[in-house]
Amino acid sequence: MNRWNPERLLPEYIKHFQAYVPSKPDAELMALYGCSRLYRLNNNENALGPPPVAQEIIRNFQPPRAALYPSGDSYYLRQKLAEKFGLHPDQFLVGNGVNEVIAFVTKAFCEKGDNIITADKTFAVYEWVAEFSGLEARLVPLKDLSFDDQGMLNEIDDHTKVVFLCNPNNPTGSYWSRDKLRDFMEAVAGRSVVVLDEAYSEFVEAEDYPDGMGLIDEYPNLVVFRTFSKMYGLSGLRIGYLVGQLTLVEPIRRTCIVYSVNVMAQEAALSALTDEGHILRTRRMVREGKDFLRGELTRLRLPFIMGEGNFVMVRLPMNDTIAYRRLMKQGIMVRTMTGFRFPNHIRVTVSKLDAMEAFVEALETIIS
Amino acid sequence: MSPRSVPNQSIDLRVLSNNQAVRLNNPNLESAVKKVRKDEVTLGLKADLTLLSLATSFVEKAALAFGLAEADALSLTLASEEIFAYLCQAAVTEQEVQMRCRRGIYFVELELVFQAQVFDIKSFNLTSSVTFDDTSQVDETGLLIASRMVEGFQFFRDDEGFRLILTKEKTYPTITDLSVPEIRSLEEYTIRTPNADELKLFIRMVNAHSRSYVIHPSFAFPGKVVDMVAGGEYDAAVAFERTGQIGGGIIWHFQSPRLVEFYGPYLFIQPPKAGMAHALIDSCLRSVARSGALGLISRFTTPDLPKEYFECLGSLTVLREGGQQVETQSYYRHLEEDMGLAVWAHPLIEAFLVAEYERLFFARDIRWIRHEGESVGDSTVLSAHIERGVSWVSLCPVWWGPDAEQILAAHLQAFEKEKILNIFFEMDLGESWQCYFTPVLIQLGFQPRLVIPYAGKGDHAIFQYKAGTVD
Repeated sequence: MNRWNPERLLPEYIKHFQAYVPSKPDAELMALYGCSRLYRLNNNENALGPPPVAQEIIRNFQPPRAALYPSGDSYYLRQKLAEKFGLHPDQFLVGNGVNEVIAFVTKAFCEKGDNIITADKTFAVYEWVAEFSGLEARLVPLKDLSFDDQGMLNEIDDHTKVVFLCNPNNPTGSYWSRDKLRDFMEAVAGRSVVVLDEAYSEFVEAEDYPDGMGLIDEYPNLVVFRTFSKMYGLSGLRIGYLVGQLTLVEPIRRTCIVYSVNVMAQEAALSALTDEGHILRTRRMVREGKDFLRGELTRLRLPFIMGEGNFVMVRLPMNDTIAYRRLMKQGIMVRTMTGFRFPNHIRVTVSKLDAMEAFVEALETIIS
Repeated sequence: MSPRSVPNQSIDLRVLSNNQAVRLNNPNLESAVKKVRKDEVTLGLKADLTLLSLATSFVEKAALAFGLAEADALSLTLASEEIFAYLCQAAVTEQEVQMRCRRGIYFVELELVFQAQVFDIKSFNLTSSVTFDDTSQVDETGLLIASRMVEGFQFFRDDEGFRLILTKEKTYPTITDLSVPEIRSLEEYTIRTPNADELKLFIRMVNAHSRSYVIHPSFAFPGKVVDMVAGGEYDAAVAFERTGQIGGGIIWHFQSPRLVEFYGPYLFIQPPKAGMAHALIDSCLRSVARSGALGLISRFTTPDLPKEYFECLGSLTVLREGGQQVETQSYYRHLEEDMGLAVWAHPLIEAFLVAEYERLFFARDIRWIRHEGESVGDSTVLSAHIERGVSWVSLCPVWWGPDAEQILAAHLQAFEKEKILNIFFEMDLGESWQCYFTPVLIQLGFQPRLVIPYAGKGDHAIFQYKAGTVD
């Protein structure tokens, strides 16, 4: 019997698109690399975990509730977000992580022949979603490790529907100041939707860092992304959201997948918003970790890029992917940066001191 | 030779002027033609000798429409005739034979898919011959002829039956003119994809200024390189000064969906401080970093390669004419975080494999194979990729059978007779059946030399014949 072949039904852009292969589960990796411990320093997770109040929600979750559908549009969470930021609940759309809300925006505004603009060395999902949607992703090279405002403006044309900015940028930690962002929004002048991905905003302590939420009233084409995966330590529950003016969010809502956010994620996220102490504790941990790494990387004479956010990029005198394998043998998992177009760099999550010490110790063995 | 068949069956295929489609003007055959696209046309026919001329006409017209010169189209047509006739004569099938012609920029590919009890692919061995006194071999004569008409073949079996893919390349003129502009170091440069004429100039400069052992054999045909870049098989990046002066460049291609091979960087007296080698490698990495490729390899390593970007996989001992023996190193870089892999291997190379994986820090679950008396296939088939210019041949297994030693020995004898100095065998450790070649290889004087991660379904082990010895 002939085997059914799906190839003839596939759009050309899917035929040539390679699926992203995520990491194997920790236990599998540990078995493969023969390590008895594993410090996860690859995904910028919060080593402190979720805020204690959110942990309590998770701990007390009643198993029979798993049989019931969650709120399809994260009703209570949106109420809480609206209260916290002084906006209307319908200005928020909650998704299964920021990855999902990227797809909401792209689907809402883009069709065949359109393009999106972002940087070449930034979070890859903007580019991927565009490409597997059959859209052109215009990648503007970073300038001095930061998004190039003029370069991006030069790329905008009549088919540019969305411009994605990552502020602060993952993986360089660079950010646009309030003035620079405002100037950019003025120059875009409503020609495209501008997405401001603030996944790491809660880590930023710089005074001139703009709060995207505060600009929404001024710019009807501005969408802000936030996540509960980083600062709030809820990566495993997958929850993030977007916010913008009602006129902008309404059409995005049409592409929004309802019921995609589970009940535990909604409730844990809601409670996490109430714990300001968690942000302060995490910032302190990151500050201490960065101080430690700054000293140690300087001692080891390794160039590094330490901007905002809970991560540091280190340039190695070797291929980053072999560094990954050698560090894995010692139970240290980092992120290789070749895929981010920073060959020979690794990105390390700033974590608790014991993890940072273990990382430096392992790093020293591979560069010696 | 195969009997010619019935007249009055004809087919007319031609590419429309706008290149949008291939038109079939024989209405009686509309039902036979399964698929007509810009670069591909498929015909389904019963394995019936009365349809032989139809089959050959289809291939000939498609080959011409897809750009082969008459002589090359004729070769592919002859190959198709012999194979189709074989399938009919051997009465191996009453079922349909699917014939698919596909246009590549520098080649045309003919794929035949058929159901059969037996298909004696051993005739595709380079060393096959036919004794005309032996009437039992007459059927195979056609296959032997077919195999010699094309540059490459692949053969495998899947749910749809046997699948035989023949590749006929266009003929290109060999490079003769090595006159190139004077070279000088560039003050400033930008890196971009060259146009066709810039690419040909770059290839001429590589041939004029680089040592022969770092030049890929395809660079002897600049027109072919241009077509390969145009067809997306090769990619190129060249460093230009504002005046158009070329300072260096690099070429790469997907050797498999997961492995990219690159040639270069070739620099023409550029000072190290200019960073051109690094910039060219970065350009290549930017292009492939999010492509799904897992590895990047250099087997024609130039002196300008920035070695800190790569890890050394090991070396092969290459003999040059005149007896000079050189260790040529292969450099590799993984492009992603390695998630580990299960591979098959024969215990005879356990020490080698374990040591290599340990040295390269690749996490591998090695599954050992051994023959335990089970029945195996009918005959061994090997494909041979020969580069006579560098006296080099690489063998790959196509089919495993009990005559492996005999077939392999015959190949070695043929290569030695042709004075080919460098003989390699490339084994895919992702295919367990290929590992059964190991004892035969070791017995005949091969040694495992390199492991190339993710080069095929699994890692590839490269064996070298009489490594490090000079006869």
